[in-house]
Amino acid sequence: MSMATKDIYVPGQRICQLDENIICGQGTYDKNGFVYSSRAGYLHKLQSQDGKILFEVRTNVETTTVPSIDALVTARITNVTPRFCKCAILSVGRTLLRETFRGQIRKEDVRATEKDKVEMYKCFRPGDIVVARVISLGDAQSYVLSTAENELGVVIATSEAGSTMVPISWCKMQCPKSLAEEFRKVAKVQPQFIQYSGT
Amino acid sequence: MPTDSRRIAGPESSTNPYNFCSEKPRHELLQNGKRQDGRKENNIRPIFLKAGVVSQARGSAYIEQNETKAICAVYGPREVIRKEDFSMKGLLTCEFRFATFSCRERRQHQQDVEEKDYSVQLLEALEPAICLDKFPKAQVNIYVTVLQNDGSALAAAITCASVALADSGIEMYDMVAGSSVRVAGKSLLMDPSYQEEYKPEEDTGLTNSGSVTVGLMPSLQQVSAITSKGEIEFELVKQAVAKCVEVCTQLYPVLQQALVRSVSEKEDEDG
Amino acid sequence: MCFSTKPSQIYIDPTKSNMVDVLLSDAEKTFIIHGIQDNLRDDGRGCEDYRHMEIETDVVSSTSGSAKVRLANTEILVGVKAELGEPSPGKPDKGRLEFFVDCSANATPEFEGRGGEDLALEISNMLARAYDCPSCLDLGKLCVVKGQQCWVLYVDILLLECGGNLFDAASVAVKAAIHNTCIPAVTVSKDEGHVDIELSDDPFDVHHLDVTSAPCIVTLSKIGHSHVVDASQKEEACCLARLMMGVTEKGTVTALKKEGSGSLDPSSVEEMMETGKRVGQALNKSLKEVLCQEEQKGKKKEQTGFLR
Repeated sequence: MSMATKDIYVPGQRICQLDENIICGQGTYDKNGFVYSSRAGYLHKLQSQDGKILFEVRTNVETTTVPSIDALVTARITNVTPRFCKCAILSVGRTLLRETFRGQIRKEDVRATEKDKVEMYKCFRPGDIVVARVISLGDAQSYVLSTAENELGVVIATSEAGSTMVPISWCKMQCPKSLAEEFRKVAKVQPQFIQYSGT
Repeated sequence: MPTDSRRIAGPESSTNPYNFCSEKPRHELLQNGKRQDGRKENNIRPIFLKAGVVSQARGSAYIEQNETKAICAVYGPREVIRKEDFSMKGLLTCEFRFATFSCRERRQHQQDVEEKDYSVQLLEALEPAICLDKFPKAQVNIYVTVLQNDGSALAAAITCASVALADSGIEMYDMVAGSSVRVAGKSLLMDPSYQEEYKPEEDTGLTNSGSVTVGLMPSLQQVSAITSKGEIEFELVKQAVAKCVEVCTQLYPVLQQALVRSVSEKEDEDG
Repeated sequence: MCFSTKPSQIYIDPTKSNMVDVLLSDAEKTFIIHGIQDNLRDDGRGCEDYRHMEIETDVVSSTSGSAKVRLANTEILVGVKAELGEPSPGKPDKGRLEFFVDCSANATPEFEGRGGEDLALEISNMLARAYDCPSCLDLGKLCVVKGQQCWVLYVDILLLECGGNLFDAASVAVKAAIHNTCIPAVTVSKDEGHVDIELSDDPFDVHHLDVTSAPCIVTLSKIGHSHVVDASQKEEACCLARLMMGVTEKGTVTALKKEGSGSLDPSSVEEMMETGKRVGQALNKSLKEVLCQEEQKGKKKEQTGFLR
């Protein structure tokens, strides 16, 4: 249950006193027993199941997002080597990024079982679009991503003939034109997930 | 200093014609309790502040205080390209520039020492207000260009940049308002214009001559930046800082209004 | 009060901070912060005490004036070179003062290449600002021919060892070095609009600049709820906001600057300025005494040498 108010708050503006029934959500922070806004936007009051009120300050424009641990990201594979593949993170959750962030999927994070038998070239190819989870912020260069879940992996891939392939099993995709089969770590795209991404 | 070969260079050495004035026009700062532009000591110039002026930028703002005009754009959070150590905190960069034609004397297009100094001061004024832990290992870039300088440029830049940051949606603990004061003798002139500003080369013969600039987070009542130039008596420095804090607090509604307007305009655009 | 959301998780980022950092654990920081609250610092000092300082002037014979300051394990060497040059167009009847800071990689490997540039710029900007007022140093004495020739004092500051509180030590060293600077006497003769400048042959025919009203920089570091002067490297790692002041002997303020990623309460700014003024005046006074003693000893004093 969400209740959008018509009140616009700006950073540093006090929203209310903090008590045990209040949770500080996105765009707010608490300090010295008060809830403050940390963003310019509309105040939303959300009623959670246990009777607590969640305060959020939201803007209508895209929010500023950076990949965080456990976030689902969509990325494009740019480079594949026997030990890992590099990718460019295109969006975090529902938010499309203006500029990409670099990420990498290591060989041992491709799938949950038989990790030692993974062959990177049979899982990803440059240009594939994958859905992955951030498992670590990594080093100064790239985020570390994982596709070790049924729902994660390649969602869009182009065949050598140049058309978009159709998944035929969890590890194979087929080109509708040439009927050639190619190996991929295919994501089992869940209906609720499709709704989530808004496509 | 290396020069940019793509630009048309002026004469190798040129001098500002004002240097040839035998007697520089001297104006009294205060006459019958009034300043040259008719303001009283405590009065600040009217402020025009607008958020969301550069469409490509994540956030932007424009400020005008009579003839002092500055524009600020914020980009990011984005990837740090240069190889640097991993950091759980975000990185903030600031570039403060005067447009080459913005001052009485022409400025070079390369960043000079004063601009670098202002960049650092601006960065330090804004850093305490930003939730840097919300964007680990990413960077936010702030660019301020002063289009016309009629005094108090740093203070205007601080105010403008904090509105641009809030407009970009980057999470902040508070806004930052900037204000500056000129100390001359026993009088404190708020928000000095270019003529009233302290210039070290002008020997006014006053023992107390200088300026103080303060950046304040108005809602939390925290001073985030404080700088001064010139020699000032201790008691007057204290007074000057207190005056600046007072003025910054008064500026808060102006900052707030500019943001509220930009938020509701964005709402209208989205339908 | 310093403002930070998670005061217990002060993260030191070596690439970001301009101070030369040491790595401290949270427990060590808490220990230092609690100690300072009770006016007890980890080296036994009170909150307004400086560490042991040694000043030596006239240490480099190739300069017009030089000084070496050792503040516990911070070591700074300043050399002043006086050269003839053109005055700046804005001040035709005054000499020029140019500050340049060199962060030697000897002090810390972080300074290698361009690593120390930001810190160097910050120190030189702060010094230039503190000295940029007509009454601190009589630059009119450096004028030779108005609008054409003047003495330019190149003040080169070399950081040899970094043990915290670089700004204060650098300002003390600069003041001592300028005090020590000998400017050769020149005679100017004009004939038919042609100006001749002749340098005196006598090496003792020199004049000195009066540094009585020159400022010293005092850095006040806000740690926990109190503030301290002359923070050591460890204390600097616990500090989120610093206030730097250029203070003269008379107690006037020639430059003010807040540094660091934290913010300060208006009331604590005032308290810090009070302390800064008090400490700054005392520092100027004792520096003056030391410089007088050094001068009396003259050439007879024994050299103590570098980096002991």
